[in-house]
Amino acid sequence: MAFLFETVLPSLLTGALVTITVTIASLALALALGFGLALLRQFLGFRVLSILIDIYTEYFRNIPALTHLFIIYFGLAAVGLRLSSLTAAIIGLGLVGAAITCEIFRSGFIAVKIGQTEAARAVGMTPMQTIWLILAPQAIRISLPPLGNYALQLMKDTSIVSAIAAPEIMFNARSMVTSSFQTTLIYTTAAMIYLLISLPMVHAISRLEARFGRRN
Amino acid sequence: MLDFLSVFFQYADQWGPRLARAAVVSAQISFMGFLVATVLGLALALMRMTKSRTFQAIARAYILVFRGVPVLAVLLLLYFGLPGIGILFSPIEAAVIGLGLAYAAQMAEVFRGGFQAILAGQWESAAAVGFTPWQSLRLIILPQVVRIIMAPVIVTFVTLLKDSSLAALITVNELLLEGRALASEYFLPLHIYIWVGAMYFAIAFPLSMMAKHLANRANSRVRQ
Repeated sequence: MAFLFETVLPSLLTGALVTITVTIASLALALALGFGLALLRQFLGFRVLSILIDIYTEYFRNIPALTHLFIIYFGLAAVGLRLSSLTAAIIGLGLVGAAITCEIFRSGFIAVKIGQTEAARAVGMTPMQTIWLILAPQAIRISLPPLGNYALQLMKDTSIVSAIAAPEIMFNARSMVTSSFQTTLIYTTAAMIYLLISLPMVHAISRLEARFGRRN
Repeated sequence: MLDFLSVFFQYADQWGPRLARAAVVSAQISFMGFLVATVLGLALALMRMTKSRTFQAIARAYILVFRGVPVLAVLLLLYFGLPGIGILFSPIEAAVIGLGLAYAAQMAEVFRGGFQAILAGQWESAAAVGFTPWQSLRLIILPQVVRIIMAPVIVTFVTLLKDSSLAALITVNELLLEGRALASEYFLPLHIYIWVGAMYFAIAFPLSMMAKHLANRANSRVRQ
């Protein structure tokens, strides 16, 4: 019991801070980049750029995040670009996430009724004004529930950055296991901590779904 | 750039066969894990539809737990954690069971969405012509559900396939672990991991396209 409270919990909770930091940082990167890509893809109407963005999203969505992390962390280091494990984790998960959020925002824009654009244009708004003042606010609102699900998935996916030695929950758990062999206790506690982080998120998602879900 | 690309051709006959063999292992654990997830997920979805409060609570708790805990934590717990209380799995068994347990929660949600899309009249008319509940489910409801959920099922499989790379961390000799072994033999991690990524892509991309196609077709049918 003392081992649990004096060694396991402090170490895993320190890891939880890193987990949360990586989640927030890569979420921010994913949202900003994904929204930008969605805007370009949806409204610019520039063929080559659209194809490039499609290649980007398919590339990042059809290859495991862990493989991307290995390419960024081990692969780039071999050609002279050395990133810290935390930086590599945030960039890797952020780039993968941008592919996902880009698709979410795009289907948000598609779900806004065509009449909204026509009405905005009819009252004399410029295309830019139409996008910023009329379409984007509605599309973002529609996107909120799937974005919540993505954030939850991302929080869980940060566990894989333990494989490139970022000191989050799972990494700390694994390093304690190699010194103490209390595997069952340590991994169960780690799972519990993830559950504690995710429960409020699940609650928030179901509220978002009730408020902004498409069925209403 | 040309130098960079020529490395791939130079080592193709050494890396190719080994990574291809490992890709088969990845496909196998994904497929078996997916089978477990489908069966268990259907059971969970049905439990949520029964009138029994206990069944509903069990299914709900299961989905909540596995929605909140990372697949990696499940795998490490199964493979390294359970021997501590006397339960031993081989790496492949742990990977299949772990992926299956984690993705059952997701499949349960997919099935639930499908069942909700079926109108209550289907159950009622099946009962009216004398079908037992089991017969209605098997002959009337499930065939319709399967058609509705085909696209999300494929998407879930692709996600599971990607997460099968986590099995590398419990020493299953799949694609990513083989890539890691090659990287430490040849000291060319960038080339090798790009190759590994390409192999995942080769399996996942056609499936993703298929899912997209099915979803588009379903949407256009709804609009008509």
